[in-house]
Amino acid sequence: MSATAPAHPAIAGPRLITGQGLAMALVIAVLAVFVLYPIYYLLQAAFDVGGADIRPPTAYGLDNFAALPKYQTVMLNTVMVALAATVMALVFGFVTAWILTRTNVPFAGALEQLMAVPYYVTPLLGALAWSLLGAPESGFINQLWRHFGGSEALIDITSPMGIAWVMALFEGSVAFVMISAVMTSMDPSLEEAAQMTGAGRWRTMLTITLPLVAPGVLGATIFVFAEMLGSFSAALVLGTPSRFYVITTAIYHFVSQYPPRLPLAAAMGVSLFAVMFVMLWLYRRIVMRKSYVTISGKAFRPRVMDVGWLRWLLFGVCVLYLVLSVLLPILTLLFASVQKLAVAFPKAANFTLDNFRQALALNAIKTAMTNSLLLGMITATLGVVFTGLLAWMIQRSRLPGRGVLEYIAMFPQAVPRLVFAFGMMWAWLVFPIPIYGTFWVLLIAYLTVFLPLGLRTISGVIMQLDRSLDECGQVCGASWGHRLRTITIPLLKPGLLAAWLLIFVASVRELGASILLMGPDSKVLTPAIVEAWFSSSSELTAAMALIQTAVIGVVLALFTSLTRRASRYGA
Amino acid sequence: MSDKTTTTRRQTLKAGLALATLPFAGLIRQAEAQNRPLTKVLDFTTAADVAKAEAEGEFTFYSHDSEPAIAGILEAFNKDFPKIKGKYVRAQNGSLFSRVTAERSAGRFVADVIQFSELSTAMDFQKRGGYTAYVSPQSEFYAPEHLSNPVGNFFWIGVTFVGIAYNTDKVKAEDAPRDWPDILKPAWQNGISVKQSNSGTQFVQWFELRKIYGEKFWQDFAKLRPRGFDSRVQLYDRLAKGDDKVCALAEYAGYLLHKEKGAPIAFVSPPTGLPAGPLLCGVADKAPNGEAARLFLDWQMSLRGQKHQQTHPMLYYGSVRKDAPPMPGGARLSDYKLLAPKDLDAYTAARDTFTKEWNGMLGL
Repeated sequence: MSATAPAHPAIAGPRLITGQGLAMALVIAVLAVFVLYPIYYLLQAAFDVGGADIRPPTAYGLDNFAALPKYQTVMLNTVMVALAATVMALVFGFVTAWILTRTNVPFAGALEQLMAVPYYVTPLLGALAWSLLGAPESGFINQLWRHFGGSEALIDITSPMGIAWVMALFEGSVAFVMISAVMTSMDPSLEEAAQMTGAGRWRTMLTITLPLVAPGVLGATIFVFAEMLGSFSAALVLGTPSRFYVITTAIYHFVSQYPPRLPLAAAMGVSLFAVMFVMLWLYRRIVMRKSYVTISGKAFRPRVMDVGWLRWLLFGVCVLYLVLSVLLPILTLLFASVQKLAVAFPKAANFTLDNFRQALALNAIKTAMTNSLLLGMITATLGVVFTGLLAWMIQRSRLPGRGVLEYIAMFPQAVPRLVFAFGMMWAWLVFPIPIYGTFWVLLIAYLTVFLPLGLRTISGVIMQLDRSLDECGQVCGASWGHRLRTITIPLLKPGLLAAWLLIFVASVRELGASILLMGPDSKVLTPAIVEAWFSSSSELTAAMALIQTAVIGVVLALFTSLTRRASRYGA
Repeated sequence: MSDKTTTTRRQTLKAGLALATLPFAGLIRQAEAQNRPLTKVLDFTTAADVAKAEAEGEFTFYSHDSEPAIAGILEAFNKDFPKIKGKYVRAQNGSLFSRVTAERSAGRFVADVIQFSELSTAMDFQKRGGYTAYVSPQSEFYAPEHLSNPVGNFFWIGVTFVGIAYNTDKVKAEDAPRDWPDILKPAWQNGISVKQSNSGTQFVQWFELRKIYGEKFWQDFAKLRPRGFDSRVQLYDRLAKGDDKVCALAEYAGYLLHKEKGAPIAFVSPPTGLPAGPLLCGVADKAPNGEAARLFLDWQMSLRGQKHQQTHPMLYYGSVRKDAPPMPGGARLSDYKLLAPKDLDAYTAARDTFTKEWNGMLGL
């Protein structure tokens, strides 16, 4: 006897494969391949105690980690400079973000555009410019100081605080972009309520504004601190003359010397992840305790506070930051780039345009610039989609183990790029599809190393988004994809655009991964600029860096004008 | 009864000459023994198959040199052989070694020609079977000590040698160092520069001066708290601007370049001798464009290639080729008393000691 199956009712059961499920599976797969795969090789190197440069390793052990205490001075230097620079950068970033998004400071639009400029600038350019300005003996400022009767050096940019200052000046704009994205997305009704109940402007800022932007600020803190730990150019240019080494400059020496000490460098890099792990754990604990929702179903426009005459003072603060981080370095480099030998007091015989002529004739400028821009655009576009989905999964989904995804995604940020690049090189060298040495391996590398940047920027904004908006759509029967397209993405636009901008610029100025992974047919610009500094002249380097900055500036101006409308809520 | 023969001076000279030419006759025989017909192209002889090289159409050059320097070499070669395009990968000596060994262990053979800036790196690469055995017909113009042992792995593409340089605004001529012991003067405390341990030339200087003056020499030098940099450009930039008073590892090539810019610097050629570091170039094993690589190597070893090495402002490498013309400035390499490692075993064995000692001295 056979049982006849009853006819199914008209209501269909749950679909086994949904768009949401597919997207999540894809994100996890990509994350595993892009991050975990190179990590495997990096860990392999960190525990390698076999013969030098024999791959795969012939023996494993803890010797490389045991050797780390010998470099405790380097570790302490790194933490000290990174902490000092992070505090300074956050102060620059928070103050300027608050001024430009929440007050009626004059020329706010123009200033806002200019605030991102320090980030466009290759870190080497900033370090080089401040080295020309503040070197104890030859620095222009010190030369002028002595010329007008001063003695010794007025400033010493090669001191630890000098290095932290330069790092903070240029990383301050990252903090600004991340924090201002959060501030722009904030519903002003809470501040208005505080003021209606008698709180003053400053009290409102301290008790309402500051706690509400806390996730964004914390995200920026973690991101900026990790950037500072992995900062290379400023420490190399400014620290080397004063015999001051940090982890990245030590690693640089270990990998560039013969025989290269890659296992020790890998152990140093991996140990930095422990520091980042603690910071990320703290971050998650803090943000999980409270609700930071500011974007709800109610329509709003970011509220601007009338600060009266103070607006001119606040305007001065922004201008001062821009002068120190943009105008002064660029003018200094311009001045240096038209000299044969950069000195403070100009002479007609020392004037030349040869540096620009040579820079424009170099292959690096002609083909590498195109590659860099193309890579930047593709990385930023794919990166925003990918990190947006990842951020949504971490913040909004009920996927078990989603917290682990965040730790994995932060790894490329926690390990210095110079070391992580070796993990990527080994991984993609043995990958069955021959992409090593091509444009595509650079794209993968960029997408990997800028995961944390996109994730931090977008996560900060997602956290402010009220779940009820998405739930409303769900109740009305809208699919996940439809809700994403019509509710979540439009509300996240400022954050997504900020992330695109940051990833684009970061890609164009990328150095650590490119230097090792670019092949003979996939050259990019920043390594060529750094190379010019090493082996040509600081004057030619200045010319190349200025050309790069100008081109990035033009691209970003175009991007900003195209997206101006989209970056405003209610538009 | 024994035959007692007397040897005349003429006979001795003849025997000496014959002996001296023996290695070269041997080299020519080795070059021919590769079953490669020799072809005269432009003004040099090559054992590469020129037609095949042109059919390959390209090759990849791995080098430690600067981007403008590599681009200059490849452009000059391309002018002579317009059908062959040279591409390049550039990295510091240690990173270049890591990259190429990682590629080879993964079974990816990208490099056709490879150039290192340190003898011990090239010897290590040779031990690992990194070079293809190719005895260039140009080898006859080089002394055996300027070729790999056995011949056919790499050759000395050029030499960079170092003396002492000082800033003429900061140091009076009468106070300037004249020989190596003068760099130990307390007056240079916090004002003297050298290169980092990743420099091959720095290793040679450390090795040679330690041999002459003993271990204490560098211990005394460390007391001056010298500053270490990565490239000659950085060293001369700082010297020219007065950030340092004296540069203890002053490459003559860098001096020429900065002097042309009008930098207030002077070069001292110490009578004890000038440490000289070779740059080593060879055809990579399993080179994907083997004929183009061989042709490029022969061109580099030829007089026209060597002239380029000596006169390109980004290089100014002294040529060890026997018939090399004078360098810019009129001097020949042979006019200088060069100090180069002779005992290669002792030299390579000292690498680790040097790295540790030098890193420690520079505060790392």
